[in-house]
Amino acid sequence: MKLAPVDYVILATYFAMVLGIGWMLRKKVSTSGDFLLSGRAVPVWITSLAFIAANLGAQELIGMAASGAKYGIMTAHFYWVGAIPAMVFMGLFMMPFYYGSKARSVPEYLKMRFDEKTRGFNAFTFAVMTIFSSGISMYALGLLLHLVLGWNFSTSVLATAAIVLAYTYLGGLTSAIYNEVLQFFLIVAGFAPLAILSCAKAGGWQGIVSRLPSNMTHSWAHMGSASQNPMGVELFGMVAGLGFVLSFGYWCTNFLVVQRAMAADSMSAARRTPLVGAIPKMFLPFIVILPGIAAVALAQMAGTGGAHLYELPMKLGAGGVPVKDYDQVLTTLMAKFYPAGILGVGLTGLMASFMSGMAGNVTAFNTVFTYDIYQSYIRKGAPDRHYLTVGRMTTIVGVALSIGAAYVAQHYNNIMDLLQFVFGFVNAPLFATFLLGMFWKRATANGAFFGLLTGTVAAALTWGLTIAEGKGGVFGQIHTFPSVMAQNFWIAIVAFTSCFLVTVVVSMVTQRRKESELEGLVYGLTKIRHDEGAKWYQRPVVLAVFVLVVAVILNVWFA
Amino acid sequence: MLDLRVPSGFFFTLLGVILIGWSYWRPDAHAPLTDVNVNLYSGIAMLIFGLFLLVMARRAAGRSR
Repeated sequence: MKLAPVDYVILATYFAMVLGIGWMLRKKVSTSGDFLLSGRAVPVWITSLAFIAANLGAQELIGMAASGAKYGIMTAHFYWVGAIPAMVFMGLFMMPFYYGSKARSVPEYLKMRFDEKTRGFNAFTFAVMTIFSSGISMYALGLLLHLVLGWNFSTSVLATAAIVLAYTYLGGLTSAIYNEVLQFFLIVAGFAPLAILSCAKAGGWQGIVSRLPSNMTHSWAHMGSASQNPMGVELFGMVAGLGFVLSFGYWCTNFLVVQRAMAADSMSAARRTPLVGAIPKMFLPFIVILPGIAAVALAQMAGTGGAHLYELPMKLGAGGVPVKDYDQVLTTLMAKFYPAGILGVGLTGLMASFMSGMAGNVTAFNTVFTYDIYQSYIRKGAPDRHYLTVGRMTTIVGVALSIGAAYVAQHYNNIMDLLQFVFGFVNAPLFATFLLGMFWKRATANGAFFGLLTGTVAAALTWGLTIAEGKGGVFGQIHTFPSVMAQNFWIAIVAFTSCFLVTVVVSMVTQRRKESELEGLVYGLTKIRHDEGAKWYQRPVVLAVFVLVVAVILNVWFA
Repeated sequence: MLDLRVPSGFFFTLLGVILIGWSYWRPDAHAPLTDVNVNLYSGIAMLIFGLFLLVMARRAAGRSR
């Protein structure tokens, strides 16, 4: 792919814009709360777009187009089943405790509800996870720019890291959130034309349906058994594993997204954040998945000179056998459909999502490090100025560590595959801890800690004892899954269930906490003030019903 | 707090102008599978979106004053 001068102009405009926003926000930062929590003053339309944009990284964009080409419309389950119900639950039932408890982070809520060791466990795993996620996203950026444009890996990684560092250092979380919203707009502007053009070329949805096997254009019809659908997942694994454990674990307990909602300017706005965000989220599959599905149809249509309109990209697999390289579907489609100009916009959108993925992780990391690790274990009771400085320094350290992680990823590909896989289920037991912590006042600190520990160990054991597509099974082999995805979903189910059961059992035999200490933290002991001054269409319940009805319609439409 | 609609409004207006200008300067800029002038149409859409954000920001600023 070759870029024209106009593409560089667009890219440069975007970089100037991003730095400009950071520069304009620098004066608003005078306390650690301004820097790390946006001073809880961000309007709801911004927090809700940032809420979904924080999750819409470039790997997500590339991965969704790839999955669209591999699995078809079933990929939309990651949105309509794997996100919407969890986002609704978060807004209606969990946000009152997060926002109302005045906790500054997810680990801090665990400290208030349970105890220090549960917080320490979560803060530490989260900090490690964010650094590696941010490193992986930088690595992917460097790789993509090298592969598609021939740019130097190190230059790409270091230059983008410098820009991310500049704007997060200047404006803190607000700067990261503002740029996430801008990135969201850019992704829509840069990829909606691709969806429209590729779908139109393939003869519209009807044209795609007529060319593809039925199990790629129906999301539910072939879920009866794992062997009938391309994902190799059966109904229970999908609904319980993805729809319940993994999605609730991610959307309700991952501080990266929760932090966006906590930055809202009121309880009502915080509760509306995931609900309003769910509305654009439901329609994202049409932008990010549809091009991948259309690509498969285009690959079957005759073009000029006996060739097909489009060929699915190939790479050398194990043993020198060529296999389809789905990760390149998105960029090869762009090359087919985008002339210079809009190509620059699409590419800028991709780079923007890499950068905000990095910025999101770094801002979540510095909050957790500053408040949950530094202020709790290293230096308590210093003046706020000190923590602001620590927050800023942590931003620099976080970016530096991510760069290091990017190079680790470059040299040890397999380790990164493994880590990414581990992050996939590390949140799964955590959701059980939160569910019991927020809705069962009998749950105790020891229950939560040992539950969490058991859940994490159980997840690792399940992975080590089962095998899928040649992965896992390092401790033995007691079960074989039809696909890695099914294995992933079942690991999550096992992790959640064991954490839930152990938390309940240990809680029953350990000392309960006084109810007066749990006010504002647990359901039934908290006066939920919401809807204050809200118009009817701003009420969380009304929004939730609307979102769920549209989600059901979409599921039925493409069933 | 800085109203995000102002900078992003300017950004998309500028992007729209660049794309529309480019589409007139190079109306033959086509990709292998694209027959329409995608730069022009996307440019118009971005210009409208940018202006819409600016108008909204102006109205909000007027109300708070």
